[in-house]
Amino acid sequence: MCNLLCLCVALLLTGPLGVQLDSIPGCGYDLDMFFRRYGTFSGGISLPDDKHATLNASIHSIGLPARLRVPISFGSSISAQVLVNVGEAVSAGQRLVQGASPEADIFSPLGGRVSAMATAQVPTREGFVSLPAIELTALEGPWDDREPAGEKGGFNWRQADPAALRERLAQGSLPTHRMNVRPLSQWIAKAIRHGCRTLIANAMENQPYVSCDHRMLAEHGKQVLQGLAILARAIEAPEVLLAADQRRLGDYKQLLAASRHYRISPVALPHKYPIGADPILVKVLKNREMPPGGTTMQVGCAVVGPAICLAIYRWIVVGRRALGRIITLGGERAQVHGNFWVPFGTLCHDLLPGAADLIHGGPMVGLRCSLHSVVTPGTEAVLALDPTPVRLATPCMRCGWCTDHCPARLNVAALNDAFELGQTDHARRLGAVACIECGVCSYICPSCLPLSQRVKRLKRVLRGTFRRGIQLSKPEGSGP
Amino acid sequence: MSPPASTLPALADLSDRLNPLGSPFLRAPETARTIFLLVMAAAMGPLAAGLVFFGWRAVQVAALSVGACVAIEWLYYRLTRLPALMGRSHAYLTGVLLALTLPAHVPWYVPVVGAVFAILVGKAIFGGVGHFLWQPALVGRLAVAVLFAQQIANPLPQLPGAWPILAQNKIVVGDELNASYEASYRQWRRTPPAPGRDAFWLTSVQDKLAPLTRSSQGVEYSALATVPETPGAKPVMILQVPPIGDLLLGARPGGIGETCAAVIVVAGLYLVYRHYVKWQLPAAFVFSACVVAALAPIQLQGPGDTIVGAWGPPGGWLAMNWFSSAEPWTQPPLLREGLEVGFIYVCYQLLSGEFLLAAFFLATETTSRPVTTGGQILFGLGAGGAAMLMRLYVDTPIPAYIAVLLMNTFTPMIDTIWRPRVLGMRRYAWLRKTVERRA
Repeated sequence: MCNLLCLCVALLLTGPLGVQLDSIPGCGYDLDMFFRRYGTFSGGISLPDDKHATLNASIHSIGLPARLRVPISFGSSISAQVLVNVGEAVSAGQRLVQGASPEADIFSPLGGRVSAMATAQVPTREGFVSLPAIELTALEGPWDDREPAGEKGGFNWRQADPAALRERLAQGSLPTHRMNVRPLSQWIAKAIRHGCRTLIANAMENQPYVSCDHRMLAEHGKQVLQGLAILARAIEAPEVLLAADQRRLGDYKQLLAASRHYRISPVALPHKYPIGADPILVKVLKNREMPPGGTTMQVGCAVVGPAICLAIYRWIVVGRRALGRIITLGGERAQVHGNFWVPFGTLCHDLLPGAADLIHGGPMVGLRCSLHSVVTPGTEAVLALDPTPVRLATPCMRCGWCTDHCPARLNVAALNDAFELGQTDHARRLGAVACIECGVCSYICPSCLPLSQRVKRLKRVLRGTFRRGIQLSKPEGSGP
Repeated sequence: MSPPASTLPALADLSDRLNPLGSPFLRAPETARTIFLLVMAAAMGPLAAGLVFFGWRAVQVAALSVGACVAIEWLYYRLTRLPALMGRSHAYLTGVLLALTLPAHVPWYVPVVGAVFAILVGKAIFGGVGHFLWQPALVGRLAVAVLFAQQIANPLPQLPGAWPILAQNKIVVGDELNASYEASYRQWRRTPPAPGRDAFWLTSVQDKLAPLTRSSQGVEYSALATVPETPGAKPVMILQVPPIGDLLLGARPGGIGETCAAVIVVAGLYLVYRHYVKWQLPAAFVFSACVVAALAPIQLQGPGDTIVGAWGPPGGWLAMNWFSSAEPWTQPPLLREGLEVGFIYVCYQLLSGEFLLAAFFLATETTSRPVTTGGQILFGLGAGGAAMLMRLYVDTPIPAYIAVLLMNTFTPMIDTIWRPRVLGMRRYAWLRKTVERRA
């Protein structure tokens, strides 16, 4: 009831909650889009921004690392065949691993020599997972291949049949650039199976410190939009949205013409965390709610990040494979700040030497790096933060802040009780599987309880019971 | 591999509590301790008002109460070897809240005994902060209200029900037990005390109207309304109740922190502004109390045992004549008198007791109120209504506190039945599923 009231008041006060990019003065405007309104979501929190150090730092290539550890799979399956031997010299872009299907092939990010077979830790939603990896040393460039060397890839995607376009995308063995890395063609097949009519590019990026998506849009915005349009054509989605932070509109002005050209609706949204989480973004933009424990594709919305759009552009238009990505290096303890083009397989500790504690991903949903954590397509940032002050957790005093701020409207306090008492059935009735793992409850808890991790663990146990009898192909790593 | 299906989550252990591994890696600055201390700082406002109107004895009671609470909590945890779970910030807060509910003229042992009950019975036997069922300060207050009824209600044996308050020119510094009874007292402002005295003995305002509701004989006219034969005369009750200015300012007998409505509301709104209190709970509390006061049938007693007016028929609620004006005295107060007089009456009922302190400071205790917003609204509605009903029909000195304790008892139930709709689920999905399974 209160939420409804707040929603009405917010709508009355702020007028159109989502400000269109077109409303920037001097950019021309489209009345139709200007007056489109978007919803909001209950809960959420206003986080400190803390992006000042890297927000305006343009993208550079990182120097040649001393070694790479290229995992032999994206993390979903390890039935792969390694094509190189120890001691062999490889060149940049050479096929290192033949996957179970052609979409899961792995390519060498740099030229060099295979020095050993080692292990690398790749992030998944469940924590880091150890995978066999190929260690490359004696690396050599040229590495700075960001700039398209003319449009020589030469695939005419506008005239191509969507099926042919999908075929071409599959040949690139592109990975999805999200936390759980999978082959892009699997993702496309799933989107088509669910009949997604809406494709949303999620550039909200509202975790503190992370700025790579922003720089990507500011510097390679047109390429990102083109990649988004290619993906929309591949999954045959008629409606394409680009959601961006309304505070950054000034840097995105040059995107307007391109977005009109590719029929992409740019949408500026307020930055209340976790609006950048996929289910919340879908709720805000389309007013559809993801079923608990499901994906946004089940409600007809496919959500991608700008990084994969850029990779698609580079493969389809320029003809270069995805061998690295743009990530943010930062944090108070970091000696290097900025946004860098980093090859996959770089060890996180090589990126920020000297920092003891590294965070892989944003500070709200990221993971603590172990010694062998590597940069994968799902890496947004590697951060060296000031260590969180260790406070002893005290009993829940039922202040209700977790419940107030939970974007999934879970009664987190009751879930915490269920966790402490081991009542998984009760947790299921409370809807624990609807948790979107944004971390707001742990952030806000004045009793310093690890609420987010407890709910995550409950969720995992419940899913285990839900999928009883089904063998999971995904290895469960050492969770946080 | 997926965990075995029957695995329960590992129970909270120390490593889980220290939280060294997982995200998020940022923390909001507020901790339980800062919350308790800030609520205590807000409670200093009513305490300061108590210092103004009741003098140094108010501070004495507060110091005794806080000191006893902290000492007993320290002793308890020392003896039982349990870790002091919350530091002692919550004991400080409990002590201040207990002092706010006590009048300043009580002997020294009353706040001490109250603190013993608050900490031991209210808090410790449940396991400390986060586990208790009833608001501890109110447990202590209820205990002393039962144990020391005479010392609290009748500090002057020859003048039952009279409580002292400092005169206008003796605030803060005066001794409130150095008081005299002024039969002609009407208004605190501009009333000087007797020579050599610091304070007045005043009959507690709530005693003027509240006990008058227990007669069953019908009355032909209302006490609030103008007497029909003399148009233009002031309503009888308006002449009896204290001026509204005194009620807002707090110049009336009562507990140390109960009287000054203006300061309580300001301090409470500060807590709302800091998000330590949701506005819905006090609002529901006050709203529900107002509605009950405006609609409940009562009878008013004049000097002696005479009945000077009534709203509502002798039959009570069921025989009430809600809308027809055929027998006007059988209508509820607000309908009978209209907004003008009815508003004064409702304000009087609301401001002359301990309602505002209960609504903003005691009902909002984090552990003993429901968690969700809807649950808090239910809680506030129930507590406010019960408090006003108890004030009108039950002879108790602390109706609002008892009502809060009553609703505290139902808090776990409210938390169970009121659940917000989870993202992606239907409202009451758990209930539907259970019903379908049964059917």
